[in-house]
Amino acid sequence: MPTVSSRGDAMRGLAVFISDIRNCKSKEAESKRINKELANIRSKFKGDKTLDGYSKKKYVCKLLFIFLLGHDIDFGHMEAVNLLSSNKYTEKQIGYLFISVLVSSNSDLMKLIIQNIKNDISSPKPVHVNLALHCIANIGSAEMSEAFGQEVPKLLVSAHASESVKQSAALCLLRLIRTLPDAMTYAEWASRVIHLLNDQHMGVVTSAASLIHTLSQLSPGDYKGCVSLAVSRLSRIVTSTYTDLQDYTYYFVPAPWLSVKLLRLLQCYPVPEEPAVRGRLVECLETILNKCQEPPKSKKVQHSNSKNAVLFEAINLIIHIDSEPNLLVRACNQLGQFLQHRETNLRYLALESMCLLAGSEFSADAVKKHRETVINALKTERDVSVRQRAVDLLYAMCDKTNSEEIVAEMLAYLKKADYAIREEMVLKVAILSEKYASDYTWYVDTILQLIRVAGDYVSEEVWHRVIQIVINRDDAQGYAAKTVFENLQAPACHENMVKVGGYILGEFGNLIAGDERSSPLVQFNLLHSKFHLCTPSTRALLLSTYIKFINLFPEIKQTIQNVLQNDNQLRNADVELQQRALEYSQLSSITSQDVLATVLEEMPPFPERESSILAKLKKKKPASVQAIEKEEEKMKKSPPSIENHVNVPKEVPANTNSVDLLGLSTPPATPQQSTNSLLVDVFGSVDQPVAPKPESNISKSETAGSVDPEAAQNKSNLLFSRFLFKNSGVLFENNLIQVGVKCEFKEHTGRVGLFFGNKTGNQLQNFSASVSMGADLQGKVNIAPQKEAPTQIDGGAQVQHFVNLECITFFSGSPNLQLRYQHASTPQQVTLKLPVIINKFMEGTNMPAADFFNRWKQLGQPVQETQKIFQANHPIDTEAAKTKLTGFGMSVLINVDPNPDNLVGSGIVKTKTSQIGCLLRLEPNKEAKMYRLTVRSSVGEVAALLCTMLEEHF
Amino acid sequence: MIGGLFLYNHKGEVLISRIYRDDIGRNACDAFRVNVIHARQHVRSPVTNIARTSFFHTKRGNIWLCAVTKQNVNAVMVFEFLMKMIEVMQSYFGKINEENIKNNFVLIYELLDEVLDFGYPQKTDTGILKTFITQQGIKTQTKEETTQITSQVTGQIGWRREGIKYRRNELFLDVLESVNLLMSPQGQVLSAHVAGRVVMKSFLSGMPECKFGMNDKLVLDKGNKATDDLSKNSGKPSIAIDDCTFHQCVKLSKFESERSISFIPADGEFELMRYRTTKDISLPFRVIPLVRDIARSKMEVKVVVKSNFKPTLLAQKIEIRIPTPLNTSGVQVLCMKGKAKYKASENAIVWKMKRMAGMKESQISAEIELLPTAEKKKWSRPPISMNFEVPFAPSGLKVRYLKVFEPKLNYNDHDVIKWVRYIGKSGLYETRC
Repeated sequence: MPTVSSRGDAMRGLAVFISDIRNCKSKEAESKRINKELANIRSKFKGDKTLDGYSKKKYVCKLLFIFLLGHDIDFGHMEAVNLLSSNKYTEKQIGYLFISVLVSSNSDLMKLIIQNIKNDISSPKPVHVNLALHCIANIGSAEMSEAFGQEVPKLLVSAHASESVKQSAALCLLRLIRTLPDAMTYAEWASRVIHLLNDQHMGVVTSAASLIHTLSQLSPGDYKGCVSLAVSRLSRIVTSTYTDLQDYTYYFVPAPWLSVKLLRLLQCYPVPEEPAVRGRLVECLETILNKCQEPPKSKKVQHSNSKNAVLFEAINLIIHIDSEPNLLVRACNQLGQFLQHRETNLRYLALESMCLLAGSEFSADAVKKHRETVINALKTERDVSVRQRAVDLLYAMCDKTNSEEIVAEMLAYLKKADYAIREEMVLKVAILSEKYASDYTWYVDTILQLIRVAGDYVSEEVWHRVIQIVINRDDAQGYAAKTVFENLQAPACHENMVKVGGYILGEFGNLIAGDERSSPLVQFNLLHSKFHLCTPSTRALLLSTYIKFINLFPEIKQTIQNVLQNDNQLRNADVELQQRALEYSQLSSITSQDVLATVLEEMPPFPERESSILAKLKKKKPASVQAIEKEEEKMKKSPPSIENHVNVPKEVPANTNSVDLLGLSTPPATPQQSTNSLLVDVFGSVDQPVAPKPESNISKSETAGSVDPEAAQNKSNLLFSRFLFKNSGVLFENNLIQVGVKCEFKEHTGRVGLFFGNKTGNQLQNFSASVSMGADLQGKVNIAPQKEAPTQIDGGAQVQHFVNLECITFFSGSPNLQLRYQHASTPQQVTLKLPVIINKFMEGTNMPAADFFNRWKQLGQPVQETQKIFQANHPIDTEAAKTKLTGFGMSVLINVDPNPDNLVGSGIVKTKTSQIGCLLRLEPNKEAKMYRLTVRSSVGEVAALLCTMLEEHF
Repeated sequence: MIGGLFLYNHKGEVLISRIYRDDIGRNACDAFRVNVIHARQHVRSPVTNIARTSFFHTKRGNIWLCAVTKQNVNAVMVFEFLMKMIEVMQSYFGKINEENIKNNFVLIYELLDEVLDFGYPQKTDTGILKTFITQQGIKTQTKEETTQITSQVTGQIGWRREGIKYRRNELFLDVLESVNLLMSPQGQVLSAHVAGRVVMKSFLSGMPECKFGMNDKLVLDKGNKATDDLSKNSGKPSIAIDDCTFHQCVKLSKFESERSISFIPADGEFELMRYRTTKDISLPFRVIPLVRDIARSKMEVKVVVKSNFKPTLLAQKIEIRIPTPLNTSGVQVLCMKGKAKYKASENAIVWKMKRMAGMKESQISAEIELLPTAEKKKWSRPPISMNFEVPFAPSGLKVRYLKVFEPKLNYNDHDVIKWVRYIGKSGLYETRC
């Protein structure tokens, strides 16, 4: 390389300027000197003078220096670009330097610069080409990738480019690919790039290895061929002695960087298939492992660092291959040696790699041998990050045999663990104890101890999980209640403990009430002594516990009612507490013991799902969970642990009230959901039915109070058709009145609640609402209003009117509702269809596939079947269709039709006189966006009617 | 209560460190160095809070002065003290620079022992300090002298010793004012105020009682109530003083009740009072700027300066600083009077005139060549600033009388030779362009 300091290139002025700046006594003096210099340069760069290359270079250099001192430079770009066209290396170099440091990628000058670079790239002098390549890489903008995306690869694979150019070109291309991965086509020069791995020059190979690594991630298929080349190159390096690769031996290690890159590259691909290549690779890895056993050739830290770098990458590759038990075990042993190494970094890396090894089935046992050492590391290690790794490894190596010990160790360590890793540790302990628990007493003990030791770090999910498991397991309940009771007796116990205690005693306090020491009153007093120290959410939970106590232990009802009716509760500032206290005290005083017992029945078992704790840990640390994931899969096959116990469904009733336990934390979704839903009914008459807002375009089409009857009719038809699938909502709305409907049907009877809302500020007078039936319905449906309809509606008020129905026999069509009222002394009349349709009296029936097909065949007469093929009105969505069918009254049968897209349903229309079975089959054709709907029913008319009703809704 | 006091050189090396209270540790001086002197961004606030410790600093030349406290002190008191300390040091060894501080560090420690006690400011008056802290090395004082100093310093009139005798009883009064102005390009005054000081130098025998009178509106109005409302019509203009502070020798009770300023003066030079006015300021100069962009790379600046006082008076040391854009590549200046030069290191044209009489005007015009820049950044146009000195008080303050009574010695008011001098200087005197 030409030296800068040759005579005539010395730039004395620059040296003087820099020394002036360095000699400045104060900041002010420095900025004065810089201002002076900038003014000088500006006067030199003024348009009317021409400068020779040397002074241009000098001033551009000064500008660069000033820029690096932290001042803004907003001129001199043109001069720098001019320097690019100089023939002297030093001038070109400074020009490129200025441009790569100072020119922003959206500058106007970019076109000029690109032109200059193009000239240089095609120059015969390799140094000029190199400068240009460096500049491209340094700027590395999208514009550059577009301009040179084609040229640079040519240089890379050209036959007569020098080695240094190839090296730069490879790295430059790498940079361009990273900026704009889509702009390039890789396939055409793939094979030639791969063969760069065979180049004589190690520098080219090193830079090519980086490039190929990135390329093979982008398009793995095209670069598959690099595997065998990389293996052979690797074996040549590994087997060479340190004297072979003169320039590329670093502290007696042959080409460590290249080795690491090649090992990384190999991790992008699966293990090579050909036995020869594979054998060679294994041989290489063995050699690397062997070399670590050799005595070090130098005491310098660089020697051991580079050697270990290669080793760790090799171990990563071994883990990636994951099919060579011999290698895995050896790697594990090697790492075991590092566990007690003096170097903190080595210990860290060893623990980290071991975590991965623990996930492999071949080396898992080998890893477990080091349990003592790892536990020791946890206790004695000074560096927190290493301790964290130790925790990870313990977590990864845990299995059924050693879980009790590991969990105990982790619990012991938790007391003095760093705050940063406590929460994660708590999660891990919780997961391990749950997963490997062979006995529930141990599990309950562990979690309670966890809450005791690190209560602040126990997240909601953890204690929710305990409760889930205790509730699902009959045999653990008594023990849990006892232990929780004992734990609560501690003078200061954590709030989470109170929560768990409150919940468990509320559910299972009766199991320990026989003991004098934990008689109902004692339990209650114990819990209530904690009440005042807790946050509102916990207090809410405790209030629920109290009402459960009333149910469990009627003898202390009075005491609890006193507490509930205390002003502290009834007039609490927290609305939730107030409401609970009020409702619970009412519930306990008004209702009979039977009702109370029904409301406060024991919680049904929770449906099983993925442990929420594990989900949380995954969110926190996606990487570290992977290892445990693998374990998990294995666990699924291995003999049962808790999860599997729980997995055996204990006939979980399809009870929508079985609350998601996670909802516990937010007060409204309380464990007392069942209570609440009942309460809603109790106060149902007070409750305003919440009618969903109709679509706005509909209300817009409405004009004044006098309605265009046709438009209104259309609209109400539209609203009406939606009631095919639901039982409540807005039936009609104009700007005077809103009619809401809420229907309930049971077998052949039903009750229709009509809600008339006056939207105006004035009274609607002479109001009347009457339900009438057309001739076709006469005798088929009985209608009886519960009371007389109201005769007037006050402004802004809502009145309700209930109508009872009875379906005598099958009917089509629906009854009418006639509204008459007077607004602003003009009488108005509206006629609506009541959403009482035959399908409302249909009840879904579940049946196995065999039964279904049996019945389907029985209804085989042509009269009984109606089939329609029609265009889909909505996008075809199986889930949505399912919901619609369910809303329609059919129950959707799963696993009947072999095609999962096809839907099969069945239901029975129940009238007073007869029961009509209906079967349905809906087959979508996604390509043609068509449906085929087949309905069979014992009464042909019913099939036809249902078919027409459903047709327009899919 | 000041916990400690540090002096640093420009590099942040500690020159003087004196700690008065235990709550300040030795590491406090490092904290200040790291967070203020060597801060990445220039710290503009004079008060910095670092780890519940407050640092009050001021800079003189290349020397940083910093007072530290952990308590909630009166910040103005601390700065007043720092200014006094600078004054004291200046009167002992002249200019404050690293060299002088290193040469006098024994003296400075001695002074620091005296001016602050457990962090409470004590005597900071140079005259008094000089009676017992001398630079002549350790001079054994006689017992009488020591008792005299003690009784004076601890007595009622701590600022003056008894038994002073002069052959000629003489006194000098200087009214020093600095005018601050910000004016819009159209000539509208955006803000203006005068900060003034009355400095007295007295060479009077005995313990004389002095009475000072000036044309303060309040004092005059009070006097006129007794006699007549003449003064308003008689053409004697009075001024409204916004606020003022006095030297400790002034009897505040008398000022409160009679609005008269009476005092027993300290011997030698002292600052009798400080004041501030904002109304009816007579601005000595008016600057009229005219900036025009001629082409993309050229602009023209014309500045006219008008003097606005009696033609008989002469202003001195006039300097006008016209900022130039940051991409100036060359400047041609043309001026009738004085010398003008483009100073690249300060990015400004500096125009200097030795003197200028009242009611005159003078003009400069300059052509500035600009270099096209990569980014079109608008030049922020900083204001044109001006420095000058005029022989009158721009606030309009006049000394009406200064009477001296010395009942014990046989000289009276007429025998005292009195000198009065007015000097008006520019503070921040700026006009936007």
